[in-house]
This record gives sequence, C-alpha cells and structure tokens, in this order.
Amino acid sequence: MVVFATTTLIDILLIGLSGTLICLAVHFIPVGGAPAAMAQATGIGTGTVELAAGSGLVGLITSSYMYAYEPKAAMLLVMAAGAMGAAIMLASTMLAGGLIYAYGVAVPFASAQVKKDPITGERQDNYVSKGTQGQGIPTICFVSGVVGAALGGAGGGLIYFVLMQYYTPLIAGSAAAVAGVFTMGVFYVNSVIPSYGVGGTIEGVHDPKFRRVVPKDVFTSVIVSMLCGVVAILIAGGMV
Amino acid sequence: MVLDLTMSMAVLAIMGAIATIAGCIEDLESDVGSQSNPNSQVQLAPQMGLLHRIYNKAISGEPISNGFSAVIGGLVTNVLLNAKFFPLTAIVLGAFVAALIYGIFATTAYAGRVASQTRFKQPLYMDVMRYTTPSIIGHNFIVCFCLVSISYIQYAILGYPLSIPFLALIWGISVGAIGSSVGDVHYGGEREFQNREFGCGLNTALSGRIVRKAESGLRNSLDNVWFCAKFGGPATGIALGLTVFFSSWPTTIWGYTWTAMGVGVIILAVMTVMNRLVEINVKKSYGPYKEDKNEKEAAA
Repeated sequence: MVVFATTTLIDILLIGLSGTLICLAVHFIPVGGAPAAMAQATGIGTGTVELAAGSGLVGLITSSYMYAYEPKAAMLLVMAAGAMGAAIMLASTMLAGGLIYAYGVAVPFASAQVKKDPITGERQDNYVSKGTQGQGIPTICFVSGVVGAALGGAGGGLIYFVLMQYYTPLIAGSAAAVAGVFTMGVFYVNSVIPSYGVGGTIEGVHDPKFRRVVPKDVFTSVIVSMLCGVVAILIAGGMV
Repeated sequence: MVLDLTMSMAVLAIMGAIATIAGCIEDLESDVGSQSNPNSQVQLAPQMGLLHRIYNKAISGEPISNGFSAVIGGLVTNVLLNAKFFPLTAIVLGAFVAALIYGIFATTAYAGRVASQTRFKQPLYMDVMRYTTPSIIGHNFIVCFCLVSISYIQYAILGYPLSIPFLALIWGISVGAIGSSVGDVHYGGEREFQNREFGCGLNTALSGRIVRKAESGLRNSLDNVWFCAKFGGPATGIALGLTVFFSSWPTTIWGYTWTAMGVGVIILAVMTVMNRLVEINVKKSYGPYKEDKNEKEAAA
C-alpha cells in the first residue's frame, strides 16, 4: 500500500526536479538534426531524443554502478557519476563528429546564430558557407553540449537514486531493474518535450531560441515529471 | 565480483576494444542499409526525378533499431544462459537470432519505402535486395555480438545491477546515437554529395541531388559502405570506444570518490581543447567565404 508521507512527497518533488533537469539539459545540446548530418546546419547530426537519451543512459549505467558498490554514496556523488558518464559520451561523440566534419566533409566550424563565438571571440559569420545554416561544432556548441549532457546525466542519476531508496525495501532483488526502466522512461518523456519547443534543431545556450523556449518547456516538464513521480510511487503499491 | 586493479583494467581494455568494433560496424551497417538522417536524401532523390539503386531501409531512428536488435540478442542470450549454455555459445546464438529478425525488418522497410514511392517511378530492385540484405544481417550480427558481450562482461564479471538485456538495450541506444551523430555525417555530408564544391557545407539547393554514379557503373549501397569504412566507421568506433573506456576508467583507478569525478572533468577539458585545435586547423584550411566588411572598407 502506498502511504503519502512527507518523504514520499519529497521523492515526487525530486523526480520532478530531475525530469526538469533532463528537459533543461536537452536545450544545451547542439542538436543539428538531419541538416547537420549533411553539413547544412551547425551541431550534431542527429535528433534531440537520440542524443539526450543516448548520453543520459550511459550516465544511468555509471550512476547505477556507483550506487550498487557504494551503498552509502551521497546523492550528489551518484548524480556526479551520472553527469560524468553522460558528458564523456557526448564529448567523445562531438570530438569524433568534429573530426568527420573537418577531415571527412572538409568544412570549417561556424555558428549561424552568433557573429562571434562567446568563448573564443572568433568571427563566425564569415565561415558560414553559402546556402547553409552553419556547419560543424564550434567551441561554444561543444562546451554547451558537455554542460547539457552533464545536467541530463545528473538528472538521471537523481531519479535512479530516489527510486532505489524507495523500491529497495519493497523489492530488493529487482529494484535496480524497475528503477532503471523507469528512469529510461522519464528520460524519453523529457527528451520529447523540448523537441516540440526547439523544432528539431538548436545550437545550444547561445542560440536565441534557448531563451525563447526554455521557460515554456521547463514549466511543461515540471508538471509532466511530477506526474511521472506520482506514477513511480503508485506502482510501488503493487510491490508489497 | 570485485577484481583487482590489473584485472579491472584488463577487462576495461577488452570492453573498450569490443566497443570500438561495435561502433565501427554499427555505422557501416547504417551506411549499407542507408538509415537515419542521410536517408532523407535517398528518399528525396526520386521525388526530384533522380532514380537510384541505393538500399532504403530506415526501420526507425538508429538508436531505437539498434536498441531493439541488441535487446533481442540480450534476451535470447539470457534465456540460453539460464539453460546452462556456454556463455560464448549463448551470445553467438542470441546475436544470430537478433540479426535474423533485424534482416526481416530491413527487408520489409525497404519494400515498404520503395512501394510508397510508386508515383515517382522508383523501382524496387530485387537484385539490390538480394545482395544487400545479407550484408545488413552480417553487420548487425557483429554489432549484437559485441554489445551483448559488453553487457555480459558488465553483468557477470563486473557485477552491474542491471540485467543483460537491459544493459544491451542501453548500449544499443547509445551506439545508435553515436553512429547517427558521427559516421552518418561522412555518409550524408560527403559520400552522398561528392558533386558539391570541396571545402564548404552542402548548399540547400542541392538537397536530394545525390550522386548516383559509382567509380564503375551505377552506385549501390555496397559502394557506399566501401567508402565509409575508410573514415566514418572507424571514427564512430573510436567515439564508442572512448565512451566505454573513459566512463569507467576514473572510477576503476580512483574508486567511487570525488577524485574520480575530478579526473572525469579533466578528460572533458582535454577533449574540449582537442576540438578547439581541430577548429583552428580547419578554419585555416577552408574559408572564410565572405569578406569582412571592416576589412573591405579599409581596403577601399
């Protein structure tokens, strides 16, 4: 039976917070979609859901291992493990993708959304080739992507931590499986929400779209993630 | 199972090597079958009146199709392991079943996609289907074998709390995400459009105008995989290998501590610097395409 004690409400709030972190994270990742795969737009050449879920789930593997072998690990450490796994996955992807853009397709990295790279201060508009919306992964996109992946991984680690604390006393043997699958579900839900807001592509934190869509998407994510949190607690009713 | 440091590093190195092969072959499988984002151009070409002999499957996004394939491999392996099969036999049989089911999906996806293009007169070439589908199945078998092997090592040797099918699902999704982000750029940005001007991005006006002639005769998907195996595939393999290796290396050496997290941050900083060096190098080689207004005025 599910008892809605104060700790249960805190758990729901934490799941809501982690879902929101994942949703926010997606906006940081330079998603170029199909045009980027043809060097027609800046960013990584695939979709938001693929990238956010792909990197976040690697974070889930690292955070679950951390939780399994350090039962007394602090919540922050489990979140950091998730952040590290996800960020390393996305950084490796962007680095290898950059090598293809540079030496396979032969295009200079350029953002079409800003005149100068906010980090390096280098001109961007001169390097945007004709008929494209920028190409490759400039430094600002790379850093924004790493930060985004880390936020997503931390969010995934937090959901896993909260659910494991809740499920372990009820179903010790298969708590990790249920918590893992549920975390994956929350990842997908919160990766899809930003897809509507950003319309398939976003360059990262410097993209004007970021400021325009983040408040709406985050608000939606808070509600949806809290609902996920309620469901996560409700399904525990059948575990006793 | 708790291993000593030497054994842990040995296992990690094996996992990194297997992941590198998995990443490489996954990308090549998506090139030989033409999947993910670059396939939009293969789909678009007949609509522009350009008929072609490229396989056109796109079962779904790469992460989902690879996740689905890997989880089937993981499930069959798990069942066979419970039936006391030898682990290697169980993994091979699991990967074989998954690859066969993947082949069925590839065939139906190709036939379905081409059938939907009847109005554009795109033919369904039976010879293309006959000699490309076994190649897709072969590539997918290697991918599944590698991913289920990684999952088995993580579950049975390293003692991860998640089950083999679930780990295989996660690695399938990740390898698809990496293949879609890295290797597909080589296929979509370079191979499909070798007719564009060298040293710049693809002009939107060229969309759908894919190259249809090969080095000899008409181009098919096997020509594409031959080309992408030179760079796109290996780069994808390196990305997945780095992910598997570096996501576990800090905790293997420094344990589950904040020090390990700090080392992770250093790795990320090094990767950022490497990307910056590539950016500087490539900007020197190509562009700028437009003259700076201030420079123009100064020259005047």
